[in-house]
Amino acid sequence: MANIAIQRIKREFKEVIKSDEAQKCAINVELVGDDYRELRGEIAGPPDTPYEGATFQLEIKVPETYPFNPPKVKFVTKIWHPNISSVTGAICLDILKDQWAAAMTLRTVLLSLQALLAAAEPDDPQDAVVAKQFKENHPLFLETAQYWSHVHAGVPKGNSEFSKKVRRLMDMGVGEHQALVALSSCNWDMDRAIEQLFS
Amino acid sequence: MSDEEMEYSDDDFDAYYEEEFDRDVDHVDPQKNDPEYFHVACLTDTEVERLLNESVEQLSNSIQVTPSLAKLLLHMHGWNQMEIVAGYRQDCNRLLTTAHIKPPTPPQPSTSAQQGDGETTCPVCLAPMSPDNSSHLSCGHMFCKDCWSKHFEVQIVHGASTGIECMGSNCQVLAPEDFVLPLLKLPRLREKYQQYAFSDYVRSHPQLRFCPGPNCNIVVQAKECRAKRVNCTACKSQFCYRCGNDYHAPTDCETMKRWLTKCADDSETANYISAHTKDCPKCHICIEKNGGCNHMQCCNCKHDFCWMCLGCWKTHGSEYYECSRYKENPNIAHESAHAQAREALKKYLHYYERWENHSKSLKLEEETLAKIRERIQEKVMAGTGTWIDWQYLLDAAALLARCRYTLQNTYPFAYYLESGPRKDLFEYQQAQLEAEIENLSWKIERAEMTDRGDLENQMDIVEKRRTTLLTDFQQG
Repeated sequence: MANIAIQRIKREFKEVIKSDEAQKCAINVELVGDDYRELRGEIAGPPDTPYEGATFQLEIKVPETYPFNPPKVKFVTKIWHPNISSVTGAICLDILKDQWAAAMTLRTVLLSLQALLAAAEPDDPQDAVVAKQFKENHPLFLETAQYWSHVHAGVPKGNSEFSKKVRRLMDMGVGEHQALVALSSCNWDMDRAIEQLFS
Repeated sequence: MSDEEMEYSDDDFDAYYEEEFDRDVDHVDPQKNDPEYFHVACLTDTEVERLLNESVEQLSNSIQVTPSLAKLLLHMHGWNQMEIVAGYRQDCNRLLTTAHIKPPTPPQPSTSAQQGDGETTCPVCLAPMSPDNSSHLSCGHMFCKDCWSKHFEVQIVHGASTGIECMGSNCQVLAPEDFVLPLLKLPRLREKYQQYAFSDYVRSHPQLRFCPGPNCNIVVQAKECRAKRVNCTACKSQFCYRCGNDYHAPTDCETMKRWLTKCADDSETANYISAHTKDCPKCHICIEKNGGCNHMQCCNCKHDFCWMCLGCWKTHGSEYYECSRYKENPNIAHESAHAQAREALKKYLHYYERWENHSKSLKLEEETLAKIRERIQEKVMAGTGTWIDWQYLLDAAALLARCRYTLQNTYPFAYYLESGPRKDLFEYQQAQLEAEIENLSWKIERAEMTDRGDLENQMDIVEKRRTTLLTDFQQG
């Protein structure tokens, strides 16, 4: 790996660990392996959002040409958000694409992602289904996102109605996550979810 | 552009035009009264380079900026010198800020990372840097020269050139040519950078267009951006100046694009489905009727129903014609939607078949042309007349191709034309043109039996019909 990339990552790694945000457990980063090619990031869901109290794991891959090209980041923890794919975890964020600047750091990336959780851009969606719900049925979007945070990202508060529907589908032999995806994308309409799953 | 400049390029223009004029073998005089007449010049990249550099030099002299910055400004402002000069006189700061040449806020005294002992390090590679191995743009973001080089390298590999920005976070200040080029070490990269930048400049210039011909490096210059035919002098391809696609008079660029998209996509498949199929009233699967009997059984859910009224077969009784009485049931709306879809499909197919047919005829007539050449060859060899004597036959074939091409392109136009007197007039002229073209085609196929005067007369009629139609209806 190029020398600049290693130097930079080492320093940015320390910058994140020592940052005020890390002290407050809002962001964190860990090494995966020992060559600084891949890192595991962590961000806390921002307050007053359906992600409050949740912790999201991120996969960060550092390219050979770092910092002249942006790091490749995606969500490992499943999340219901218009700019993040509910299937693959791929992120749609300008600074991870053409607005990347070599002077940006891992800390700026993690903080920008946290900001994205607080302020979604439904007009520039990564996940069209989520974005549609966000725009057309916002209260349901908030509930769904909150329930995903409960199921996947360690938030204690659940939703008994949603749990019941998921369990009913599971009784029909559907996997838990599959049931969650089907119901979420059908606005929790049981009949439509069944149709989508079994047709 | 200043008046001087306009005058100069006019002269230039005429010089190129004449050259093209000499090579033009078209036997119709490109007079001003020809609706298809269009003034263009085919330039090589050196000629374009010269033309661009003249603008750059003029601007750089008139507002006292470096040629690189002048180039960047011209690129951002569609090469409109007057606009730039006016903007500069009014508020030079604003002009330079909106063109991303200067930062919106003046640079901080020190934006680079300061270490305890006062030595600066490059914020990108973290290595120490001294003033002579570092550099910055007007925004003051200081980085070492090695990092700048690597940044440019990565950007050029991504295809960027005129749009390369500073490496600072959220800094949109652009790097001008004279900043980038000295920092590029590999000749290959410099070449790529210049090549990409050249393409960007041509694309931003309102009077220039790349010839769309495969591997053709010609740039076409025209004073106005109009939907007119351009013949590239180098690769011989013909295209519409405005949209760069195949020439399409009398239809305009947008309508043509809509038509081609319509022909290419499956919107008509959807119409077909709508016109020829119905959904099962129970499970909603799509059913195409494949026999005469109206008693349908859905192959998916085994539901029995009547094709006519979509009612359940059991309640229907044995006399299914009974359902013709149920005109006022909710299926009326359903039926009319079907009827509409069927009508839309019929209309589209009418125009599409004719469009397709003329396209096929054009290909067949190419074969006729080959045969004519053969026959002329034989005749000349046999001593009946010379090449010059038979030239009129080739002219006739060329004219036929041109007229049929226009005729083909009248169909998308007619498809989107709203009903009314204008459409009636158009379709009348179209029918006239169509009839005369078939007449000409018939005479050319039987050239030996046709009198030369008769044929030339017919050629004249067809071309007149075509010009009339174009004069009356061509847009753009």
